[in-house]
Amino acid sequence: MFKKFSEKDSVSQSSQLKSSVIRNLRHNFLQQYPHVEPYFDEIWPKRDNVKLVKCQDHIELIASQTGDILFFKQRDGTLLPTLRLVHKYPFILPWMQVDKGAIKFVLSGANVMCPGMTSPGGKMSVVAKDTPVLLVAEGKDHALGIGMMKMSTEEVRKTNKGIGVDLIHFLNDGLWQMKSVK
Amino acid sequence: MAAVADANTEVNSRDFPNPILPRTDITYPINVLYCGVCSLPTEYCDYSPEPEKCKEWLRQSLPDQFKAVSAGGADDAAAASAKDGEEGDQDGGDDDRKKKQTRGGKARVKLPAAEEKKKPGAIKLSIASRGKKKYVTVVTGLGSHGIDLKVAAKFFGQKFACGSSLTGDDEIVIQGDVKDDLLDLIPEKWPDVDEDQIEDLGEQKR
Repeated sequence: MFKKFSEKDSVSQSSQLKSSVIRNLRHNFLQQYPHVEPYFDEIWPKRDNVKLVKCQDHIELIASQTGDILFFKQRDGTLLPTLRLVHKYPFILPWMQVDKGAIKFVLSGANVMCPGMTSPGGKMSVVAKDTPVLLVAEGKDHALGIGMMKMSTEEVRKTNKGIGVDLIHFLNDGLWQMKSVK
Repeated sequence: MAAVADANTEVNSRDFPNPILPRTDITYPINVLYCGVCSLPTEYCDYSPEPEKCKEWLRQSLPDQFKAVSAGGADDAAAASAKDGEEGDQDGGDDDRKKKQTRGGKARVKLPAAEEKKKPGAIKLSIASRGKKKYVTVVTGLGSHGIDLKVAAKFFGQKFACGSSLTGDDEIVIQGDVKDDLLDLIPEKWPDVDEDQIEDLGEQKR
């Protein structure tokens, strides 16, 4: 999604969000990830105004007052944390671990194939289809991507073929390189 | 840093728990060390376009971290290269690998820093006439000095109490003849800009 994304060409406008919209977003996010609640005020302070940055392809970014991009979403999809945020709070999303051989493919923007997660180096969380997951790698401490499950964990084990996770955001993609917004 | 991955080794089953709960023994936010060259977390520097440069950077700026990484990384690297050998062609020597492109491309992304290296060019000031007795001042080249053009345009407008707008890629048009003031103002406002870099082109047609 962010492979060909650049601050210069893709951002169309940015504006302050209304507090009622913020309240809604916060509420929805917490409903989806209730376990984040103790830390949520730290991640996204209650009284903080946030900026909504509209981009091409119906992508919207949510940035804090200081310009750090916190979340992103496409169309009316769910709010997803950016990698920089997940590096700080890695417990937000369920984890999927890929084996060592898959790292370079993921870093160049490939979707994650099932064998990359079922092999000895891989490790999975049990999740349903269409769940956003955090991609971590064998032998690495920090996440390397954020993706969307194309099949449930069970199916991944059963078929063990084809695309398992659709890659949305990965290290060094356009969104990563856009460190902050003005 | 290592603490993150350990979070799940304690779990008996092969799967990650879902949801992953924050650990009590670490304080969040975790402070991740990013490489100054490739901007990735330092452990991913091996996958950057120029791992040598990354290593060099790490050695210079954070000698302690460098030692830790190179000590642990030696095993990693050995393991990785062994694995590569298995995956590659049977004869997989170094020369072979250079000739053929391995599957999946090179995972090489352009360095973000590479763009910034562009040398700052000259700042060109010129005036253009509007009618008989009115002028506008055209400033080009500010962007290459890493100056935010939007902010600069607004600043000029406020300073000279006139209209000032961003008219093109790296071009600011200020209403009124303020060229002489700009010659002093620009180095004053942005100390990085050398006075010699500012060129006065005089009057030019637009």
